[in-house]
Amino acid sequence: MIDCDVLVIGGGIAGCFAAVKAREQGLKVLLVDKGYVSRSGETPYAGDTAVFDADWGHELDQWLTQVSVIGEYMNNRHWNELVFRDSRERFADLCSWGVQFLKKDGEYVRLPHPYKNSDLPDKHKFPPIVSEVVHWLPGFPDMLRKHVIHSGVKIKDRFMVTELLKQDGRVVGAIGFSIEGNEPQVIRAKAVAMCAGGGGFRPIGYPTHELTGDGHVMAYRVGAVITSKEFVSPHSTDPEQPAWPPMYLFFSSGGSAALPGMWQDPKLYNAEGDFVPARGMAWHGWLDAEYEAHEGRAPLTADLGRRGIQRVSGPGAHGSMLGHATGGIVPVDDDCATDVAGLYAAGDSLGTCFIGASYSGFGFATMHAAATGARAGLGVAKEAKRLTAAGSGPALDASGAKGGLDEQVVKAASARLLAPLERKGGFTPRWVTQVLQNTLAPYFVLYVKHGDRLRTALDTVEYLRDHIVPKLYARDDHELRLAHETKNMVTSAEMKLRSSLFRTESRGTHYREDYPGRNDAEWLAWVRLKEEDGTMTAFKEPIPLKWRPDASRPYNERYPMRLPNESPGGEAAARDAGAPTGRKEGR
Amino acid sequence: MAIEAIDPGLCNGCGICVRNCPMDVIRMDKKARKAEIRYQVDCMLCGQCLECPEKAIYLKPGWLTPTLLGWG
Repeated sequence: MIDCDVLVIGGGIAGCFAAVKAREQGLKVLLVDKGYVSRSGETPYAGDTAVFDADWGHELDQWLTQVSVIGEYMNNRHWNELVFRDSRERFADLCSWGVQFLKKDGEYVRLPHPYKNSDLPDKHKFPPIVSEVVHWLPGFPDMLRKHVIHSGVKIKDRFMVTELLKQDGRVVGAIGFSIEGNEPQVIRAKAVAMCAGGGGFRPIGYPTHELTGDGHVMAYRVGAVITSKEFVSPHSTDPEQPAWPPMYLFFSSGGSAALPGMWQDPKLYNAEGDFVPARGMAWHGWLDAEYEAHEGRAPLTADLGRRGIQRVSGPGAHGSMLGHATGGIVPVDDDCATDVAGLYAAGDSLGTCFIGASYSGFGFATMHAAATGARAGLGVAKEAKRLTAAGSGPALDASGAKGGLDEQVVKAASARLLAPLERKGGFTPRWVTQVLQNTLAPYFVLYVKHGDRLRTALDTVEYLRDHIVPKLYARDDHELRLAHETKNMVTSAEMKLRSSLFRTESRGTHYREDYPGRNDAEWLAWVRLKEEDGTMTAFKEPIPLKWRPDASRPYNERYPMRLPNESPGGEAAARDAGAPTGRKEGR
Repeated sequence: MAIEAIDPGLCNGCGICVRNCPMDVIRMDKKARKAEIRYQVDCMLCGQCLECPEKAIYLKPGWLTPTLLGWG
């Protein structure tokens, strides 16, 4: 058993910030990661971070409006404001940790959002796109790691946590195993920060296969509330060489915003040669491409300017970047505490609803990860200190229990951890993952959605959950990790499908063919999930009135982005009533 | 075909590729003190192993898609 004050799970930007900030409070901090801290999750593929600074001429109202309009009012403006206001300090932190940023003539180069209003349809109705990023130089992950070690945080790489341990109503640690070696190991902590990223299904076009929703699922299993899993990321890919060139090569050679024009304003054409307006920001809104495929007008091609013509396919079972700063574990205060005592969260694991229904600005996910990471670090440290002051806390002095932990709790978790190795046969995690991908990857499940098809997919996922997952088996430590990841992906899939079914309207990246319009009367609300009597239950959380769009403004001004197959005129207004229109007509 | 080969003649056993690989595709052959591709099918082509100081690692742009079997 390992003892610490604070356990941080996941070593990306959020986890590193949480660990460092908790450590600065003088606590014993352990940071664990399935892979290698700083090379984890999406961190290696990030190139920049947004910074809000009034001294740079930024205006808070304009930034908030950018997020609200593009995020279609599903953003949480309180968290937007907190993160924007924190971002200058987090940028200063990174500079003081030795991270190098692009400079010119001694000044930091502030890069504007690569999409301009002039690129957008209905541009005159669109608010100014104001956010700016600073771009870090190659070597960012290594500098991050170096500082974490320097700060005195203890690191445990290649360690997969399988469960949070909950006792007397609070999280008191976690159990996991080293990727090389199968021994269950218990980590006892006064409080835990979950920073394990978002959740996808091993997409073919983006190297985020280790982001299997572990954080969301582990928190959900101990009673946390999960939000906003219905929104997706339609990052497209090249169907012939879907993962080429390797993403890390691009970013480690100084990519992203340092190469303006790289992915800027791509022109998308369908098989009939017609121009397809890619309506979203930063190509997250390429739902149109999915819809073109739906109408039988694929293959699609993108004219990337100097990079030539590329064939375009949908992301398949992507759902990874979608976790960016929206869906996840619901925070209950500004310290990133959750509904579960002793559990904090940050980054893509945390469901602040920062970006809302569609990704609204470059560098927002990294900005959010850093800001919430720091807040969670301070929050978790405060909680650990409070427990220490109160006499070690409830879990640590539980009488009669070994090391303060209930032996039965540990024993049961340990048995679940090892179960796939104990089975002589059953189903391999790779095969189960493949079945899950085949269920979710076709565009007509998670991109062009319909209640009937969502229910069909959910039937399959429930079957996997009830009959296949309990028979997962692993032949070695590598497969043991895959088995637990697969189990988590199945629960994460259930979350996506249930949330998608529950939201009976279309909005942002959530498109329902059977409810093709936005419905402000009923759906200015977040979709939350919670386990009730062993069943995943969805419910609505209304968005505060003061953050809702002014209903007296014309529909097209509230929503300058067109949904697939939505005409710019009166048709949209009719759909605004939210009535299902049944079968869709052609364009 | 994802990660294709690690040239044992060039590999110096530093282990950078093993630690960088988020998918645990590469392991160290402790006897030979060389990195080896152990779980090729799990490679996601992120390219982090290409930080190899000896340039011993070769990736191929194609994708390995196993046939979906009735059970497996």
